[in-house]
Amino acid sequence: MSRRTQKLSRAVLVVAAAIITSNTERLPAQEVDDWTLSRTPWGDPDLQGVWRYEGATPLERPDDLAGRATLTDEEIAELARIEAERAANREAGLDGVAVGRSTLDESPIRGNEYNIFWQDHGRARQAYAQTSLIVDPLDGKLPYTDDARIAARRSDARYGVGPYESYLDPDTGERCLTDGVTAIMWQGPNGGHNRIVQSPGFVTILHEEYRDRRIIPVDGREHGSIRQWLGEAVGHWEGDTLVVETINFLDRTNYEWASIWTRASESLHIIERFRRVSETDMEYTITVEDPKTFTRPWTAAVPITRLPDGIQIYEYACHEGNRAMPNLLSAGRVEAGLAPSAN
Amino acid sequence: MRISLIAFVAGSALAASAVQVSAHHAFAAEFDVNRPITLTGTVVELELINPHSWIHLDVTSADGTIERWMIEGGPPNALFRRGFTRAALPIGSEIVVEGFQAKDGSMRANGRDIVFTDGRTPFTGSFGVGPDSR
Repeated sequence: MSRRTQKLSRAVLVVAAAIITSNTERLPAQEVDDWTLSRTPWGDPDLQGVWRYEGATPLERPDDLAGRATLTDEEIAELARIEAERAANREAGLDGVAVGRSTLDESPIRGNEYNIFWQDHGRARQAYAQTSLIVDPLDGKLPYTDDARIAARRSDARYGVGPYESYLDPDTGERCLTDGVTAIMWQGPNGGHNRIVQSPGFVTILHEEYRDRRIIPVDGREHGSIRQWLGEAVGHWEGDTLVVETINFLDRTNYEWASIWTRASESLHIIERFRRVSETDMEYTITVEDPKTFTRPWTAAVPITRLPDGIQIYEYACHEGNRAMPNLLSAGRVEAGLAPSAN
Repeated sequence: MRISLIAFVAGSALAASAVQVSAHHAFAAEFDVNRPITLTGTVVELELINPHSWIHLDVTSADGTIERWMIEGGPPNALFRRGFTRAALPIGSEIVVEGFQAKDGSMRANGRDIVFTDGRTPFTGSFGVGPDSR
């Protein structure tokens, strides 16, 4: 790791630690006191299992919480109550406002496309103290460059409108390629599940969506020079914390992305820290630097949860079933005054 | 089930991100939000595939002919984790689908809401009780 990277890492960790401390303080005392970090047979901290982000905290801070890094205890309790009620309402078969969705009058799409049950994971979302996953910069907002902000607005304006005249017009996720590495540990169109598997000298992260997989050497090697879609991840242990530095991404900013902030360019540089703090909780922080998209590095602190043993991730044979591609191209033909595509 | 009225002062902000909304854009490129449709029919095929499930539905039209519709649903993986099996939506089930028809005018629609004709939902199950969770 470069000196600059180390300095950057330390600076954001101070901020992240303050936020995470306020989260873990709320863990039941028993969980904190009685828990001992287990280790693999070869002595590394054991991070294995299926993990996902189950929090209710958004990436960016909502405007009406501007200036506030954390919620009060009363607000956390209220948020937890709301989330528990919504989970119960989902279980009872309700939909719409009762489960926290927008009403159909507000939008028949943008989260309302399907019955909530298709994507309900059967557990209430967790209420954490932090008001945004982004802990640096302190305003909790993505520090977009002017160009990237324009790209984000353009992307938003294309929502459902297109044009969709070529296979290049849908975003990289809709093309069954990837949604990028940046948010891989905490979101995905199907819930963002990740299975971590360890072997001597390697940590492997299997992401359910798009079958994205990251095989991360932790054997002391340096980065190479081959550029790939998911970059090149190299890890090492700092005490019981796994630190992963990913560089060597391909520039794919010419493609459409579901979220501009997850797009890859050659200057994208990601540092992640994984530290298990209880049987079911991992402190995960990610610092993202890319002058092509951001004016400065930003850091998110994401509490992720280990799901019970036996919970599986499944394959995601996206291309095989991706009928959306021919269907939307057929729709594009009709809108252009041409005949629909033959099925 | 009581439906909460969120009167809490910061409720709107706290609840703003209530559901993780898919950021993928193309849905409304495929289906026409100006063409809402309600279909009642018989399930003839259930494709539990990614990135979207498809339910094939025979619908009797006004003139008595049978139309074969394809209904797009969400990905099956979350359902599997909750114990959903094909037995929950058997071939031959009578269901009501509400959604939007495909923009190219074909007999395809999204299945925004799917219930049995008696009002029950095929989607029930609890976390971690599925056959694959043992």
